[in-house]
Amino acid sequence: MIKSFTLLQKVVSKRAIVSVILLLSVTSIAFAQVRTVKGTVTASDSRETLPGTTVRLKDSPTGTVTDIDGKYSIQVKQDKAILVFSFIGYTTQEIEVKTQKILDVVLEPAKISLQEVVVVGYGTLRKSDLTGSVGSLKSEDITKITALDPVQSLQGKVAGVQVASLSGTPGESPMVLIRGVGTFNNSSPIYVVDGNILDDISFLNSADIKSMEVLKDASATAMYGSRGANGVIIVTTKSGSAVEGKTTFSVTGEYGLQSVVKDIKLLNGHDFAVIANRISPGTYNNVDAVSSTDWQKLIFHVAPVYNFQVSATGASKAVQYYLGLGYFKQDGIIDKSNYQRFTVKFDNTFNLAPWFKFGTNITLTPFSQQIAPDVTYQAYRAIPTIAPYYSNGQFAALDGVGNPLADLENSNNFRKGVRGVGNMFAELTFLKSITLKSSIGIDGEYDKAESFTPKFTVFEPNGSPSQQYNQYPTLSKAWSDNLTWLWENTISYVKDIKKHSVNAVVGYTMQNTTSESVGLTGKNIIRDGPNYWYINPNYIYDAANGVNTISSIYNSVNPDQYYSMISFLGRINYTFDRRYILTVTFRGDGSSKFIQQNRWGYFPSVAAGWNITSEKFMKNISFLSNLKLRASWGQVGNDKIPYTGRYSQVDNSLITIFGATSSSNPAASYGLLGNPNLKWEVTSQTDIGLETGFLNNRLTGEFDFYYKKTDNILVPLSIPGYFGNGAGQQEWFNAASILNRGFEFNVSWKDKIGQLKYGLGFLGTINHNEVLSIGGNSGVDSVLLGGYLGNGIPVTRSKVGLPVGAFYGYETDGIFQTQAELNAYPHMSGAGVGDLRFVDVNHDGKIDGKDRTFIGSPIPTFIFGFNLDLEYKGFDFSVNIQGQTGNKIFNAKDAVRPDPYNFETNVMSGWYAAGTSYTEPRASYGGYNYIPSDRFIQDGSFVRIRNLILGYTLPQKLSTKICMQKLRFYLKVDNLYTFSKFTGYSPEIGSSNVLSSGIDNGGYPITALYAFGINISM
Amino acid sequence: MKAKTSILFILAISGLLAVPGCKKFLQKDLQGTMTQESFPVSASDALLATNAVYTTTREWYYHSGGYPILDIMSDDARKGSNPSDQLNTVGPYDNFKITTTQDGLDRWWSEMYVGIKRANVVIEKVPLISMDTALQNRYLAEAHFLRGLFYFDMVRAWGGVPLVTTTTPPLKLSRSSETETFALVMADLLYAESHLPLRNSYSSTDLGRATKGAADALLARVYLFRKDFPNAEKYAKLVISSNQYSLEPDFIDANGVNGNNGPESIFEVGAIQNEGTEGGGDQYANTQGVRGTPNRGWGFNRPTPSLTNSFEAGDPRLKGTVISLKDTIDGVIIIGDGSTPAVTKDSAGNILEVQCYNRKVWVPGTSTASQWAHHRRLIRYADVLLMAAEALNEDNNPTEALLYLNMVRARARNGNPGILPDITTTSQSELRDIIFNERRHELAMEGWRFWDLIRTGRAPAVLGPLGFITGTHEHLPIPQSEIDISQGSLTQNPGY
Repeated sequence: MIKSFTLLQKVVSKRAIVSVILLLSVTSIAFAQVRTVKGTVTASDSRETLPGTTVRLKDSPTGTVTDIDGKYSIQVKQDKAILVFSFIGYTTQEIEVKTQKILDVVLEPAKISLQEVVVVGYGTLRKSDLTGSVGSLKSEDITKITALDPVQSLQGKVAGVQVASLSGTPGESPMVLIRGVGTFNNSSPIYVVDGNILDDISFLNSADIKSMEVLKDASATAMYGSRGANGVIIVTTKSGSAVEGKTTFSVTGEYGLQSVVKDIKLLNGHDFAVIANRISPGTYNNVDAVSSTDWQKLIFHVAPVYNFQVSATGASKAVQYYLGLGYFKQDGIIDKSNYQRFTVKFDNTFNLAPWFKFGTNITLTPFSQQIAPDVTYQAYRAIPTIAPYYSNGQFAALDGVGNPLADLENSNNFRKGVRGVGNMFAELTFLKSITLKSSIGIDGEYDKAESFTPKFTVFEPNGSPSQQYNQYPTLSKAWSDNLTWLWENTISYVKDIKKHSVNAVVGYTMQNTTSESVGLTGKNIIRDGPNYWYINPNYIYDAANGVNTISSIYNSVNPDQYYSMISFLGRINYTFDRRYILTVTFRGDGSSKFIQQNRWGYFPSVAAGWNITSEKFMKNISFLSNLKLRASWGQVGNDKIPYTGRYSQVDNSLITIFGATSSSNPAASYGLLGNPNLKWEVTSQTDIGLETGFLNNRLTGEFDFYYKKTDNILVPLSIPGYFGNGAGQQEWFNAASILNRGFEFNVSWKDKIGQLKYGLGFLGTINHNEVLSIGGNSGVDSVLLGGYLGNGIPVTRSKVGLPVGAFYGYETDGIFQTQAELNAYPHMSGAGVGDLRFVDVNHDGKIDGKDRTFIGSPIPTFIFGFNLDLEYKGFDFSVNIQGQTGNKIFNAKDAVRPDPYNFETNVMSGWYAAGTSYTEPRASYGGYNYIPSDRFIQDGSFVRIRNLILGYTLPQKLSTKICMQKLRFYLKVDNLYTFSKFTGYSPEIGSSNVLSSGIDNGGYPITALYAFGINISM
Repeated sequence: MKAKTSILFILAISGLLAVPGCKKFLQKDLQGTMTQESFPVSASDALLATNAVYTTTREWYYHSGGYPILDIMSDDARKGSNPSDQLNTVGPYDNFKITTTQDGLDRWWSEMYVGIKRANVVIEKVPLISMDTALQNRYLAEAHFLRGLFYFDMVRAWGGVPLVTTTTPPLKLSRSSETETFALVMADLLYAESHLPLRNSYSSTDLGRATKGAADALLARVYLFRKDFPNAEKYAKLVISSNQYSLEPDFIDANGVNGNNGPESIFEVGAIQNEGTEGGGDQYANTQGVRGTPNRGWGFNRPTPSLTNSFEAGDPRLKGTVISLKDTIDGVIIIGDGSTPAVTKDSAGNILEVQCYNRKVWVPGTSTASQWAHHRRLIRYADVLLMAAEALNEDNNPTEALLYLNMVRARARNGNPGILPDITTTSQSELRDIIFNERRHELAMEGWRFWDLIRTGRAPAVLGPLGFITGTHEHLPIPQSEIDISQGSLTQNPGY
């Protein structure tokens, strides 16, 4: 023991001595040779100085950036140092410094931005070597929109991407579609945040993101195999600065106010009374004397948004670091709805040796949310002649609707939690071209939901209780957690040998996702206040009766968050002479979601590119600065189904009551039916793209044709009731095909006139969506019903030859003006004079279910965005306009009327005597005229001024006096105005279910935001 | 060379880690419950599976899709609740404006098949379990009884339906004929009646399970529906002669809490006070409970003036059938609902509806939840007595018919000699009408009136003025969604 100890000591001390000597000699050399080189960097084309150029000592982290006058100053430690000058859009120059102290440099604009690098799956590629279709968004564009979820910033900015808000509820993420709806189930893309594969990025602060790359074609997405079919969004977060130097701080503060963009035109008290008398004469004796309540005004108000962040970034010799802190708070325009989020991000890279580095990258996001009840729909339905309160101050009863103000007052619905996403990696480089990388990523979330409803009753005017009541003070709580780990190991090889360039990667990954949730409800909570919101046995167990009479408990895994996966992947990108490019990728995925025989899926892709401008024969065509043709084919998959899909389950939660004392007896039997034959759905995609640049890339254009066909779509189909699964239950099948084909373009022009710099961009997607088959040989429905309204009636029917989720109902053809006309036409028994005339589509002389037909598509055929950026002296101005055409909206909130409700104002022009209207039927509270028909279909086309920003940056000479590198103020407006014929709050209607898109159920409206902000960096 | 070695090394390590663990790592078993392949496999599983068939009868959808449409379709009840509530969903059942997409049809249809599936699980899987044979046979008989009960409801509602008798039916089935469907009902019930124990051989904790008496009574009901009077007589009398049942002395207890699993109850749906089916409650009575003050439910299924006026003078069963405003029941004053008019008249001034509620679902208590503890009687002894009387009369044995009819009247009379005198006529046609009326007053608002009108051919005359069309409304439409899913292999009933 002692012996070995001393031996160790000896070894240690020997090594230490050697190290110290080495260290001393290195430092003494360094001290001996240090000197300063200064100079100015200018651009050859504009002949202006280039502030912000990176000046770096080759093979060393030492570096600096030119100042506002393009001047730099750098310490050089050797005789023969090489300085590297780089600036985006210009060819990087390496210049050997000999003995001179002044070194002025002129940078040439890059003919093609050769050095521009694009992040792709498991690596980066030079943009010129890219064969896939990838759209990028840089940090300055990501922060333009004030939104919780950074993905909102892609709207109108990347061709082929459709982003639509589900509602204006604070904290809600939007729907994102890349190149159309490719499946019948979950059609959301996946997100790859610094290597972690995730389902959403709402936990990220926009300010912490460096870039987002949208992978669209199979050449780009096939690296993500079974999860790539809906597209992949790669998010690269900010990391420490690349050059050694002082820490840069930046601070942003923004304050804004949101309001409803427009109200829905509903009847006021007087007009409602007029209509009520038309429906049922004598309902109101004096229509001029009725009171009028504007329920929308009562529930909406102006609400603030706060957004602050601070970040620090820098690098020392061995460490590059980034630290970001953010706070976002959005109050809802409806009371008791809000969202707040903190974000804490650390990113550190440790360069331990030229051949070894490791790093950590962690984002922690605590959040809390309050969720309001759905009072928007109540306000839409509430009868306007009823005042919200009685004279005694109590809430007034609204039969069949419920008083929205009473529901708001009694709502206490909260959710809070924390999400942590991070990874740790080690990278080993040898022979300069081979890199081994291993990384472990973790995504964990802990969530708590809590809802308390006190005992309350809303009374009828005569004092009897209405149906709006809560008999017991009720407290519900739910906890959920999920944890994913992902272990990825890759070997990459990047080498240029003469005219040959190779960029290859192979890898092996494992992922495991688990989750659990627990919920319970207690009643008879002893006091109302939050101090008492804790459940004890008295609240869930009725001791007097010896039974659990007043509780409910559940505990399960989240079926979407319970799986494991093993993958092998590889890509080789080979370029010859910068002219011809070939990319081949492959991924094999094994997933726990399928039985052993169907477990493995293999996803290949090949692509080729041709940089035509690099050809000799193009040399003399000077106006053409870039011309590249690329083509790709590949297959990708989608596995987004619950893990339970293949299991036929036993429902063991049943009870039956037997015995003289009525006791509970446990029971169990067959429950949901599973399908063991499930396998991947496969999307085959072909893409042909053309990239162009003219006039030194002042004019650029990117054009893509794609043809994307998804087969074996995983789809829950209704199975016959005689399977005994219960009403509305479905089973998963691989049983449908969908085609999306389209054309994408992105054209931009950048130039300057004197001091005015300007940029114009126009991008768009024309998409054709068509169902090719449903049902297949599984023998169940050949149509897929969806878009179930509140009354259980489906209004979409996906059918071969039509778009996914096509609207389905009766076509109308005027109004029955007279009894004679009614008698002359086929009609349903419920139809009367003044009612809609439905078209006898199948000409069988009667109107029945068989006459329902295609009445519109919810999918836009053209989505576009237009961007304008101006810069003049310190001022900057940008506008983003975005829109879509070709889609229809089903106004479901108007169509569901089990009870008498208020109406939209169009009812005023309704039929009341022969000849009074040929389009709008007689007023009625429900029934025949509310059968789903094209009466509820509206044009969903719109053009929206999405974002408008005016900023002013203080001249640097002034800002430096107050110790700031940059000080900018800005004013901005989001969703300023929308040009649209739609009568609802917003024509942008997202849905998390592709079979229910474009259906306006009257949810929380999206808002306009007017904000003021400051950016500081120092 | 060095690079190659390293790559190989790393690949080897990854491979080593991956291959052996791969299969296991990618296996994610079902959490929290079993798969159908592993259930039922033991004696205790067999009990669970058998219990589960009964659970179906407590589901809201089991009760004709949720709303009591069978009474609403008859002349005994109107939709109820306030005038606008579910006007377009439940309202059309009141005036026979039922469409193929009418609310509730698919719920009822699908729920019946849930029950049928659960019965099939027992019938198919329990014989494979090695267990106590007597118990095994009883479980099988219970499942046969319940499957017969479900198919009987279906064949009355829709006529012939797809017959599922295994746990793995084919994807495509078409409708069997009405005769074939009845044949299955009969086969199931005959099996059940020959294997089920008598009521008194169950322990008190098992009260509520199917009995031989229940199977006999249900067979009587089926034969009566088929106009097979000798068999109806046979099985009704088997129930009577079993000495297992008697009438509750007080009519109120025939459906009330005091009579839960009492002597009059032949088959009932057990429930406990819990506002949730999962927790043991039954929403059947909540759907019909007093609306307003006291707040006991939604107030659907409102007794009509036609029903209330039809009772014989002084018949105490009127008070046992209808809750009127200002009544005091179990110390609770009925004030009613502010959104419902006290009296509704048509344009000619005739009274259409008076605010009132179904007394037979009343449960004493202090809250809405109390209604959820109502035990719905699916078969009770008074019904069996009247079935016996009806069958005997048709079989030309009026004397014996009178015996059973007068037992029911005597109980209703409750010792008051001034009312409900014994019937003495032996004229078959007179007696037929009297028994029919007795059924209306004894069994009102319990869901039988509509079927009685249909099976006796009286529906056109009685319901015609309400919109009933002969040749159509004897059956409900097959739910359109089922026809759509079947891609046309299910055909619609005539007239829809």
